[in-house]
Amino acid sequence: MSTAGGSNPEYVTARVRARRSALYGDEEYRKLIRMGPAEIARFMEESDYESEINALGSRHSGVDLIEYALNRNLAKQFDDLLRWADGRLYDLIARYLRKFDAWNVKTVIRGLYSEADRDAIADDLIRAGEFDDQLLDQLLDAPSIEDVVDRLSGTIFGPGLAEAYEDYEDTGVLVPLENAVDRTYYDHLLEGLVVDEATQQYREFLEAEIDFRNARNALRLAQSGADIDPADYYIDGGSLFSASELATLAQNRDELVSAIRESKYGDELSEALDELEAIDSLIGFERALDAVLLKYTDALGHVFPLSITPIASYILAKEREVDNIRAIARGREAGLSEEQIEQELVIL
Amino acid sequence: MYALLQEAQAAAPALEPTAAAAIAVGLAAFGAGYAERGIGAAAMGAIAEDNDLFVNGLILTVLPETLVILALVVVFLV
Repeated sequence: MSTAGGSNPEYVTARVRARRSALYGDEEYRKLIRMGPAEIARFMEESDYESEINALGSRHSGVDLIEYALNRNLAKQFDDLLRWADGRLYDLIARYLRKFDAWNVKTVIRGLYSEADRDAIADDLIRAGEFDDQLLDQLLDAPSIEDVVDRLSGTIFGPGLAEAYEDYEDTGVLVPLENAVDRTYYDHLLEGLVVDEATQQYREFLEAEIDFRNARNALRLAQSGADIDPADYYIDGGSLFSASELATLAQNRDELVSAIRESKYGDELSEALDELEAIDSLIGFERALDAVLLKYTDALGHVFPLSITPIASYILAKEREVDNIRAIARGREAGLSEEQIEQELVIL
Repeated sequence: MYALLQEAQAAAPALEPTAAAAIAVGLAAFGAGYAERGIGAAAMGAIAEDNDLFVNGLILTVLPETLVILALVVVFLV
């Protein structure tokens, strides 16, 4: 799809609104929590996921079937978005969906590193981003990590990866490569974004995403007490922390928590922060971050109905749905109680 | 000679009433077309997701056409 030509938000938002209303609601989740993996698969077959379950049903079963069907449906939905959108709208959607390109690159590299076979890697790819099937197949066929880096040289990930590959050769660990991929993604998220009244909200959403990512990284570093320079993991572009602030805050968890509490996200996150201080659990806090982001995007799109915001709101809602169903299926498989699974879900 | 020409030009209006009416209708049609562009795109999107919306989509798409019909009144007035 070219970036030439006009933008067509009317068409895309009309379709996206219809798709959004077809997502699972509270009622469905309440039913799903009581089901076993096989029943969940059958329930999905009767709704939006019919073709994916049918296509994968012969090769996989149980939770794997649900997982792969979810990934494939997610990829299909987001590919549709990119297929429909033209012009500026395409650029705005692609910015966010490159996240899946980054995921795919990392999956391939990790797969090659751990010497997994091609089919196993292919199953874990989410073909949702900007990369087409041909490029992804080429990556899968690459015999070594060096070849992967080589084959990505024409994409936005090319320069960063080529640089990081030297580091990888010296150290033999994947961290520099993965860091380079993430960094490229976040660098391109806000780069050259033309901000007008309608995209201002989208920009705030992307900034919130970066802020939360930084907060999450800092809390994890503070929690683990590992001796890693936080500046290496700092992502530029957020409005909450600067690189030096984050470096000092990561040393001291209490200060970090109070810094977040005083920020503009403080009101929404206060409950989760209390919990974090009381029981020392990062999981609850990270889920609260997800919920805040979802709530925020839910309100998006009502002010400027013919812009990127309703689409961003749908993308996030769909991702949460996939995460939720996966959590239910995995939770049932592991024998968690209904209340425990319910706590794992991010529902508004 | 030149004076004569100038006199003739001054006497006739720059735009005949019928020509002005034609431009008015044309502009109205242009406006209707522009409005239908957005509505039509949205209607096609909605119909692609749910076929039952075909009738609603069609009605809403041609709604701005009333603009042209109203503008056509001008033609009969002049």
